[in-house]
Amino acid sequence: MARVAIRVSRCRGAMTAGLVLVLAAGCGAGASAGPAGTPAVAASARVTISETGSTLLFPLVGKWASGFHQEHPNIVTTSAATGSGAGIAGASAGTADIGASDAYLSAGDLVQNPALLNVPLVVSAQQVDYNVPGLPAGTHLRLDAAVLARMYSGSITAWNDPALAALNPGVHLPGTAVVPVHRSDASGDTFLFTSYLSAGFAAWSSTAGYGTTVAWPRVPRAAAQRGNAAMVSGCAATRGCVAYIGISYLSAALAAGLGEAQLANPAGQFVLPTAATIAAEVASFVSATPPDETISMVDGPAADGYPIVNYEYAIVRTRPRSAAAGRAIRAFLRWAITAGSSAQYLGPVRFQPLPADVVTLSEAQIARIGAP
Amino acid sequence: MTTPARFRALLVFFLVAALAWGAVSTWTVLRHASAAGNVVAVSEPLSLDAQRMYRSLADADVTAATAFLRGPDQPLTARRRYAADIAEAAASLSALKGGAAGNTSNQRLLAGLATISAGLPVYTGYVAQAQTDYALGYMLTGGSLMQVASEQMHLTLLPAARGVYARETDALAAQSAQATGLPWTTVVIVLAVVIGLALAAAQRWLARRTHRLVNAGLLIASAALVASTVWLAAAFAVARSDLQQAGRLGSAPAELLAQAAISAQQARGDEVLNLISRSGDAPFEQDFQAIRARLGPGPGTLLTRAGQAGAAGPAARAWYDVNDQAYRLDSGAQYAAETRLVTGTGPSGSAAQFSQLEGDLGHAITADQLAFRSSAAAGRAAFGGLAAGVIVAAILMAAASAWGLARRLAEYR
Repeated sequence: MARVAIRVSRCRGAMTAGLVLVLAAGCGAGASAGPAGTPAVAASARVTISETGSTLLFPLVGKWASGFHQEHPNIVTTSAATGSGAGIAGASAGTADIGASDAYLSAGDLVQNPALLNVPLVVSAQQVDYNVPGLPAGTHLRLDAAVLARMYSGSITAWNDPALAALNPGVHLPGTAVVPVHRSDASGDTFLFTSYLSAGFAAWSSTAGYGTTVAWPRVPRAAAQRGNAAMVSGCAATRGCVAYIGISYLSAALAAGLGEAQLANPAGQFVLPTAATIAAEVASFVSATPPDETISMVDGPAADGYPIVNYEYAIVRTRPRSAAAGRAIRAFLRWAITAGSSAQYLGPVRFQPLPADVVTLSEAQIARIGAP
Repeated sequence: MTTPARFRALLVFFLVAALAWGAVSTWTVLRHASAAGNVVAVSEPLSLDAQRMYRSLADADVTAATAFLRGPDQPLTARRRYAADIAEAAASLSALKGGAAGNTSNQRLLAGLATISAGLPVYTGYVAQAQTDYALGYMLTGGSLMQVASEQMHLTLLPAARGVYARETDALAAQSAQATGLPWTTVVIVLAVVIGLALAAAQRWLARRTHRLVNAGLLIASAALVASTVWLAAAFAVARSDLQQAGRLGSAPAELLAQAAISAQQARGDEVLNLISRSGDAPFEQDFQAIRARLGPGPGTLLTRAGQAGAAGPAARAWYDVNDQAYRLDSGAQYAAETRLVTGTGPSGSAAQFSQLEGDLGHAITADQLAFRSSAAAGRAAFGGLAAGVIVAAILMAAASAWGLARRLAEYR
């Protein structure tokens, strides 16, 4: 697990170390007032807040850090793509100010560390991509939980398997061997994907189950990759690959020549992860979202909804390491769910903004950071 | 001072001394009898209610989560057990609130009860919402809401219930200490000895002064004092012995067993929580090992100190073995097999082993509580009639000494 140093310091210029990306563009002097609605962090000292975790959220956090820094020159945000598991662990251990996770905190994490909060920042989705040569341009293969579970279990070994053909009438499928690719690190994407398989295919639920890590069935050609970027490149390099990849990597996946699957939802519809299908799915969960915003939105009731959607969570402590850090974290998170949720930021990574009622819940949770 | 004046002074002294001793003794007897009565009728039942509430809440959570994890065909018995647990917790809460009514001095107890009153409907609401989602086929959403319910239980309700139990146990200990305390009993007996010596001295002085062998009034007063003091001392000794026995053989081991049962419930809760915690990084192995070390059996552990190493020890060990298997599966991400082992209904599963341990502990607690009630009731009974007897004795002492001295005084008129 990569560890990210936390410090409050005078600006020391650009810093780069390993996976840590420093997004401090300038070192201008003086405090700044935030835009309307965003509390200003009045401080003469610069504050560095660290974020680590979800590789899915990583591209957006980079853009956010930059945009937020322009409005708050005295706050520097560092980010690192280490995987959701590392994000949760970092926030729990206090080695990171913000842990980014595609999955909400487990009851175990919360019981052992009641000072943690999971605060949704944006709505995300997960695509299932494939590298199947010879398919006509614009083809989006139809897949469902049962077929995917059997592909990942090794009982469907070729792309022209009758089960796949039955889902895709009229599509000529090649006999290319199926190569299931999964994440090697503790990953929120794995949690979401295996949740979808568990909900839709009882045999998967009663064997591997779901989690940020699972005991993957032994499949001869299966491969494992660390992080979403490696999932894209690994799948692109492997004929016959099928892989689950976060929506923020859709452009990269398409650019790499991967196909994007339509997934079956509980209503039996096959849908792509578009803005409309993601929003439809999330809308069906808004009223059920509890105050701590822990909720699974996989395989929801929306007839036209995409079945694998989730909140991207910031995992934070209610007692930050310092008052200044607490103010900076609150300002950053509030900015992320308001100004940072404009199309300028979310469009390129295909995330969706939180519904208004969920923004209210997130704001209430953010207000608890550093509260007496 | 003239002799009649000395008679008058003696008369007033013995009148005041007898009535004062009677008042102090009666107050002491009533205080101890009341404390002994409260131990049996108030503190012990409230402590039991607090214990029952904790165990019901913990069992409700484990039952609901376990039934949920077993799949869509949740057994009716599990639903009934969950409903019974919630009903029992609510009844215990109601009794505890009744016991705390007007007790504004214990703000922490009142705060704990208020937390549970406010939090219990929230918990049951989440469980109901989870069950509804599950029944509608949204198992993952239901699962996440069941997790939220468990968080409410583990972060809000159970800590508050533990606090309430600790407050009620402290109250029971305080009442027992008041019932068996020595200071006021000692004061009463010392006073009796002083008055007795004064009566003897007066008798001797009168014998020399009046050339009569005894003064009948002072003799009657002395006899009343001796009889009531012997009764009082014997009653205190018997009550103290019985109440101490109630504590030693009843409430003390019951308290240790209650702690053991609560620890076991906590560990069982951790087992199940671990199963619904699929998104994080928090194994409960360390927690479980810590609880296991505290629970025993083994030197210094709860089961051994409560004298139950032989009775409940084998069930505890069998349960630990199943747990070891479960955590091996967990560390290998074998969730499905772990779920079957922890929630399955088979005789070798964790649920069955835990039920065995829970049953053993429950029976032992019941036996200790019966022992406590029997001895404590005997202790309370030792004070029966004593207060009235002391009042009668004090009045008799005052009247007899006044009569005896008045007769001698009359001889000087």
